[in-house]
Amino acid sequence: MAEPSPELLRTQSLGFAIDGREILRGVSLGVRAGEFVGLIGPNGAGKTTLLRLLLGGLRPTAGEVLLKGRPLSRIGVRERARTTAYLSQEEVSPFAFPVLDLVLMGRYPHRGRLERERESDLEKARRALSYVGLSGFEERYFHELSGGERQLVLFARVLAQETELLLLDEPTSNLDIRHQDLFFSMALELTREGKAVVACVHDLDVASRYCSRLVLLDRGRVAADGSPGEVLKPEILDPVFETSTMVTPNAATGSLSVSVMPRCWPGEGPRVHLIGGAGSAVNLTRELNRLGYRVSGGIAHEFDADHTLWRNLRLPSRVVGAFQRISAQDVEQAASLVEEADLTVLASFPIGPGNVENLRLAARARRLVILTGGPEDPPRTFFSEEGRALFGELQARSRLSDYARLQREMEEGSIQTPWPR
Amino acid sequence: MKSRRALVLVLLAAGLAAAVLLAVGAGAVRVPPLSLLRLAAYHLGFRGVGLPPQQEVTILLLIRLPRVLAALLVGAALAAGGVVMQGLFRNPMASPDILGVSTGGSLGAVTAIATGLAGASPLFLPALAVAGALAAAFLIYAISSYRGKTSLLFVVLAGLAISSFFNGLVSAILLFARQYEVSQFIFWTMGGFDGRTWRQVLLALPVLVPGLAVMALFARELNLLALGEEGAQSLGLGVETAKRILLAATAAVAGVAISISGPVGFVGLLIPHLFRLLVGPDHRVLLPASILGGALFLILCDLAGRTLAPPFEIRVGIITAVLGSPYFLFLILRAQRRGLHRG
Repeated sequence: MAEPSPELLRTQSLGFAIDGREILRGVSLGVRAGEFVGLIGPNGAGKTTLLRLLLGGLRPTAGEVLLKGRPLSRIGVRERARTTAYLSQEEVSPFAFPVLDLVLMGRYPHRGRLERERESDLEKARRALSYVGLSGFEERYFHELSGGERQLVLFARVLAQETELLLLDEPTSNLDIRHQDLFFSMALELTREGKAVVACVHDLDVASRYCSRLVLLDRGRVAADGSPGEVLKPEILDPVFETSTMVTPNAATGSLSVSVMPRCWPGEGPRVHLIGGAGSAVNLTRELNRLGYRVSGGIAHEFDADHTLWRNLRLPSRVVGAFQRISAQDVEQAASLVEEADLTVLASFPIGPGNVENLRLAARARRLVILTGGPEDPPRTFFSEEGRALFGELQARSRLSDYARLQREMEEGSIQTPWPR
Repeated sequence: MKSRRALVLVLLAAGLAAAVLLAVGAGAVRVPPLSLLRLAAYHLGFRGVGLPPQQEVTILLLIRLPRVLAALLVGAALAAGGVVMQGLFRNPMASPDILGVSTGGSLGAVTAIATGLAGASPLFLPALAVAGALAAAFLIYAISSYRGKTSLLFVVLAGLAISSFFNGLVSAILLFARQYEVSQFIFWTMGGFDGRTWRQVLLALPVLVPGLAVMALFARELNLLALGEEGAQSLGLGVETAKRILLAATAAVAGVAISISGPVGFVGLLIPHLFRLLVGPDHRVLLPASILGGALFLILCDLAGRTLAPPFEIRVGIITAVLGSPYFLFLILRAQRRGLHRG
């Protein structure tokens, strides 16, 4: 293990109150070089207040902030600005400053009150602009840029300030996903170069993706402090956000994704039973659920994407163990779901010995739609002659439909109207 | 951009010199502009050029020159005050007048006249005018500042309230005034340069020069303040200190200007605006350009007032109001359509 880098910032039982109303209480944190600390928490938890205390824009009513071991209150505002940079949500000046002038302002704390900017300052400002990908924007006017470009210009200003510590207050809350990623990736790169970043982040997925450490604030106190994996747990998040969450790994990045569990509103619409597998019923479940149909599902295998969704949506469903063969007995138990449904949909999935009984279940349907698989769906491959034969029988007494047509009928509500057998 | 800024400054300086020559020459008795140059050259040691006729020298030295210099100083001071106010409050519609400094100055001056203090010593009137301007500025600053933050909205609201209040006081004092004082009061509600002498000009200089110098020293800080107070603070600017110094400088400079001329409206709004369009918002250029431009503008306004309808004089405050109000309306309408950004 390498020697831990020295602490840049340390707060000691920091508190802040306005008119006796406590905004923050007993916040003790240390921030080391190379850390990317995300401040998370519900609205009004005190994230922005904490950031302003760390910046020195607000004075704590209790405790102290130490910047490199020295009390912040005893460090002059200029010297502070050579160590700490700050960036909030987009600031727009009412005056038409050229981009380069704004970035050059980052050099202000490094020059004497009456000293002119040197060529090296200009060079640093230009380099900062090119780092954020805005070379050639020097003479453009700040207020004429898009929101994303503006925030990148301000980030360049922060870079030109050449500080060891960066405080960011919801820096990307107005940005599109590309600019958000660009912004946080650059901040992450800075921490790899040994700077420390403390950012208020509203979006928990973003926080888990880029931050090395998360500090969860709850009504002015630190509720949890640790790696994203340690903090982003439903048992920690739920009481703080007063909701019910589910934490899953993000399929694209492997970082944690926090979702609010759906509330259970029983639909009023027709009953639809879905027979799926290998995730083939996920899209259909979502659409039907959104449109207010009463959905049931099965028989699925445990850990299958279909079943995970049905379980999380708390829909009635039947499940057997993973890789377990569905038995005739399972079909009997699931039969009532199918028989009571106004419509049963057989999704497109491979059929083998493990799930061939699902075709027998489908045969019990009052009305059956067989979904022809699209290019995105798992193919309806048959791994047994029995399956192929059963499917042939089903086709004779059901209707084939592609997803687009089914969705149109779902939207129109014409899905349950009878059709000639 | 850089060369354009330099060009604007050079043109303004040349224009100002030309305007001074033109203005000292024009009037009921025409004096050739060259006479002033001859007079200056003579006193600078070029005895060979010879003095202009004595009558011209008297007119130049006792009437025209102090009047033109008074217009120059007031124009420069009000424009500089406008630049600082607009920068400080991040509001391109701000000016010393709107922020109550002018009515404060008027109230001070009127009080000096009504109480007879003005007659006791020539120092009292400008001193009270400056005190009134400072008092108005700091009342507004105190009202609109809370927990170390000054709110733009409350500056405007408090400015309106204080201005109305002070105007009310001025009117009340006018009610109780003796007949012979009323003409003096009218001067303090309209503004003008008639009868300005070297005394007013020389009394104003010790305040105006350091005041404008302080503003110039804070040009870069005014740029930072455009980022908002939080942003400026995070870049190492002691925002509250800077605000206090700049407010004090503006109040002093505008107050002294008003002690010379009475309230002259719109210069502090119009000139900074116009030059922000020409040279951009960088206060290191905008401030000197506005100082030169404000001086030039007011000299020309006074010249117009003197020469448009002789033998009557149109007061300079009327000229600036007639020119300024439509421009202000134009700005409001344009801002409504385009946003407050440019200029």
